[in-house]
Amino acid sequence: MPLAPDRKRQLTTAALVAPAGLWLFVFLVLPFMAMVVFAFGERAPEGGYQAAFTFAQFANLPSRAAAFWNTLMIAPIGAFLCLIVAYPVAYYLAIKSNPKYRLVLVSLVVVPFWTSLLVRTYAWMYILGSRGIPNLLGMIGIEDVRLLNTPGAVLLGIVYGYLPLMIMPIYVSLEKLDRRLLEASADLGAKPVSTFFGVTLPLSLPGVMTGVALVTILLLGEYLIPQLLGGGKVFFIGNALVDLFLQSRNWPFGSAIAVTLVVVVVIVLSVAMRIAWKVSGSRQVDLV
Amino acid sequence: MRALVTFVYLFLYAPIALVVLFSFNAGRSASEFTGFSTMWYGKALGNTFLITALQNSLMIAFTSAVLAAIFGTMAALGMQRLSSRGRAIFDGLFAAAIVVPGVVIGIATLVALVEVFSFLNPALASIWPGDKPPQLGLGYGSIIAAHGLFSLALVTMIVKARIASLGRDIVEASSDLYATPFTTFRQIVLPQILPSVLAGFLLAFTFSFDDFIVAFFVAGSKTTLPIYVFASIRRGVTPEINAIATMVLVASLLLILIARVLMQDKTTKTQTGE
Amino acid sequence: MTKWYRENAPITAENLTDEWMRLKRGSVTRRHFLGVTGLGLATAVLARQPGLFNSAAYAQDLGTTMSLATWPNYHDPATFEAFTAATGVAVEVNVFGSNEEMLAKLQAGGTGWDLFVPTNYTISTYVKLGLIDPLDMSKLPAFSQASQSARFTSEGAIDAKTYALPKNWGTTGMAVNTSKIKTKITSWKDFFEVAMTEADGRAMVHDYQLTTIGSALVSLGYSFNSIKPEELAKAEELLIKVKPHLYGINSDYQPGMRATDAWMTMCWTNDGAQLNRDMPEIAYILGTDGGEIWTDFYAIPKSAANKPAGYALLDYLMTPANAVKEHIANGAPTTDSRVLALLPADVTSNKIVYPDEASLTKLEFGAAVTLTDPARAELMARFKSA
Repeated sequence: MPLAPDRKRQLTTAALVAPAGLWLFVFLVLPFMAMVVFAFGERAPEGGYQAAFTFAQFANLPSRAAAFWNTLMIAPIGAFLCLIVAYPVAYYLAIKSNPKYRLVLVSLVVVPFWTSLLVRTYAWMYILGSRGIPNLLGMIGIEDVRLLNTPGAVLLGIVYGYLPLMIMPIYVSLEKLDRRLLEASADLGAKPVSTFFGVTLPLSLPGVMTGVALVTILLLGEYLIPQLLGGGKVFFIGNALVDLFLQSRNWPFGSAIAVTLVVVVVIVLSVAMRIAWKVSGSRQVDLV
Repeated sequence: MRALVTFVYLFLYAPIALVVLFSFNAGRSASEFTGFSTMWYGKALGNTFLITALQNSLMIAFTSAVLAAIFGTMAALGMQRLSSRGRAIFDGLFAAAIVVPGVVIGIATLVALVEVFSFLNPALASIWPGDKPPQLGLGYGSIIAAHGLFSLALVTMIVKARIASLGRDIVEASSDLYATPFTTFRQIVLPQILPSVLAGFLLAFTFSFDDFIVAFFVAGSKTTLPIYVFASIRRGVTPEINAIATMVLVASLLLILIARVLMQDKTTKTQTGE
Repeated sequence: MTKWYRENAPITAENLTDEWMRLKRGSVTRRHFLGVTGLGLATAVLARQPGLFNSAAYAQDLGTTMSLATWPNYHDPATFEAFTAATGVAVEVNVFGSNEEMLAKLQAGGTGWDLFVPTNYTISTYVKLGLIDPLDMSKLPAFSQASQSARFTSEGAIDAKTYALPKNWGTTGMAVNTSKIKTKITSWKDFFEVAMTEADGRAMVHDYQLTTIGSALVSLGYSFNSIKPEELAKAEELLIKVKPHLYGINSDYQPGMRATDAWMTMCWTNDGAQLNRDMPEIAYILGTDGGEIWTDFYAIPKSAANKPAGYALLDYLMTPANAVKEHIANGAPTTDSRVLALLPADVTSNKIVYPDEASLTKLEFGAAVTLTDPARAELMARFKSA
C-alpha cells in the first residue's frame, strides 16, 4: 500500500534533517550536558573528575576574575582596533579600487588564511623578539626595547589574525551599497566627508556589526595568540581552561569555567544582536 | 588612503614573506638566516612525523568537510519543511555550534567521550568473544566529529540563505509539472545551490585544516599539522616547518587560481549564452 | 711474548671500549670492529640463531615509528638519528614543561607515547594510578643496577619492582646573564628581588608548580615542598607581586635567554650548562637558601602502542656508549658510574654539571605530595591567570 503523500513528505523531511540532528545531539547537546554535570562535581585526589554535587566550583569562579576581565577587555579592544584598520581597506576595495583588480585584491585579503595561523604567529614572535624590531631600534640608538610578551604584542597578533574576518563582511556590505546614493548625495552638494558620515557609514553598519560581533566572539575563546605572544603573562579565559585541563587537572572547575564562558558569550552576542536590530530596524537594511 | 591600504597589505604579508624566506635557510634555526638552501624541503618531505601530521590534517579536514557538506545541505533542505518550532530548535543548535568557542567544544567533547569510553570499554570487553577487545579512544573519529560540528552549522547556514533567496515558486512550478521531487531537486534546486555548498565545503575544510584548539583536546595520540607545529614551537622550530607551510600556501594558491579560471570560463560561457 | 701471540691475544677492556666508541662514531667499519675484537667467528655462529646475539629487544618487530615525551633541550638529536639508523624506528620527540602536564595527558588517555621522562617524585603516583607497569628487565640488558648511584635512583623502584630507569640527575638553579645584570645573585631571595628591580621585565619563571612555587617558598625561608596553607599563601603573595615584572612564565627559557629578551631565569642544570657553553656570560647559580635536586627517569606508559620500540630505545639509551654522548650534549650529570668513567674531563670538572657537594646540601628532592596537592595546583593556576 503506497504511503499517503503527507506521511511520505514527513518521512522525507525527517530523513533530511536526521543526520544533522543526530550529530548536533551527540556532539553538542550531550557533551554540553556532561560538562554541566561535571561542573557540579569534585576534583579527584590525583586530579580529574569525581562525582559529587557541590557548588564549590562556581563559588571559586572569582579566582579567575582577572582572566575573565582580561578577556572581556582585550577582546572588544582587539575587535575595535581590527575595525579601525579594516574599514579603510574594505572601503577602498569596494568603492575606490579599480574594478579590474578588485577580485585579485579581495582574494589577497583571504590568502593569509591559507598559511597556518600558528606559523604566522610564530613569525611575529621573531619580528617582535629582540632579533627583530628591537634589533633595528638598537641600530638607531634605542636600546633594550621589549615588545614580545606584552599586551601590545597580543593586541597586534589579534589585529593581524582577525583582520580578514573583519574586512570581508564590511566589504560585502559596502559593495552592495547603491552607488547612485553617493552620486545623489554629491549632487545635492554634500561634501565627501558628510556623504561618508551621512550615507556610506550608516549603510555599511550591518557589515561592521557582523564583523565586530564575529571577531569579538571568536576572541572570547582565544588561546594561541596570548599563549605565543603573551608569554603566559597575558592570560585569557581560553588559557585558563587549557591550564585547568592540561596542568592542574581540575576537570570540574574547568567545566564550571567553560559553562560560564558560554553564558558570557551568549550575553555578549545578545547585546550585539540587540544593537544590530536597532540599527537595522530603524534603517531598514538587511543584516546578512 | 592608497598608502594606508598598501601598508595593511604589507602588514598582512610581512610575516608570510618571513616564513617563506626562512624556509630557504641553510642553518638549523628558523630565526637566524645563514645562507640559501632548499635542503629543508627535502628534510620536510622525508620527515615521517611531519608528513603523517599533514596527511592526518588533510584526511580529517576532507572527511569532516564532506560529511558537513552532505548533511548540512540535507538539513538546509529539510529545515524548510519543518514546523516553525522544529526550525527554531535547529536554528538555535546551529547558532550554538557556531558561537560556542572552540576551546569549550574541545573540552566538552573530551569530557563526554572520556566518560563514555570508561563505560563502554569494560562493557565491550565483557561481551567480546576474542582475547583482545577493541579499545575505544580519542583519535580521528573524535576530531572529525568535533570539527564537523562547526562545519555542519556553517554549511547549513550558507545553503539555507541561498535556498531562501531562491524562492519557492521555482520548486512549486516544477512539482506542478509532475516532476518527481528528486528530479526537481537534481535539475532545479541542486544547480542553484551548488556554489553555496562548495563555498561551505571550502570554508569547512579551511577551518578544520587550521584548527588547533579543538584538536588539542580531542586528538588523543593523533597528531595534526597544527598540533605538530605547536609542539615544534616548544622544542625549537627548524625551517622544516617553514618549508611545509610554504608548500601548503603554494598548493592552496594554485587551487584558488584553478578555481578562478574554471569559474571565469563558466561565467563567460553563460554570458555568451544569454 | 711473540708478536703472533700479541696480535691474537684477547682484547683488553679499555681497548674494547675504544673500539666500540670508534665503531659507534662510524670511524671503523663493522667488519674491522668484529675482526679486531675477535668476535667475528662468534658472530657468524650466533647469527644463525636469531634472538641470541641480537639483543632481545631488537629481535622483535619494532615497527617503524615511536613517540617519546620528554623535556625541552634534553637530548642530542644525533642520538635518535643513530637509533633510527640502527633499528629502522623513527622517534617522534614531544616536549613538555611540567610533570603535571605529562600526568594530565596520560590521565586523559591516548597519549601515544612509548617512552616518557617523569621526575623522581612522580613515579609513585603513576604506579598508584596504574599508568605505568613494572619494567621487564630482561629486555634491558644494557642497564646495570650495580653501577647506579642509589642516592639518585631509589625512587625508580617500588616494592622491589623497577618501574623506571634513571636518565640523569640535576639541580634547579638560576641562569643569569651577567653582562646585563650587575647585582650579585646568590639566593632565591636575591632572584625575586632582582626580578622586580634590575631585571624588571626580563626575568622568567617556569610554567611548573614544583619549581616556581618551591623556589618562592625557599626564598621566604620555607621548605621547597611545603604544602602548609599559610606558607603557600605567603608564596602566592610573593609570586603575584613579582608577576607584573616578569618577562614570561615558560619552562622553555633557552630561546628567550639566547636572544637576550630575558636576562635571568629559573633554570635546570642541563639548560644552564648549554647556555653557559654557548654564552659564557650566562652564569648558573644554585641558591644558597635551597632549591631542588632531582633525578629524571625513563618509564613506559601502560598505554604505549609500541612497547617493543619503547624498550629498544630505553636499552639503547642505557648503553654507556650512547648515554655518554647524550650527557655531553645535554649537560646534565649522570647517575651511572660506567658513563661517568667515559665522560671527558672537561665535563666532569664543569662545576655547573658536577657542583661541589657543599652546594647541594640545602637542596631538596621534590616530594610526591606536591604533584597531586590541589592547593599547589590551584595556586599555580591562580598565579598564571592573575
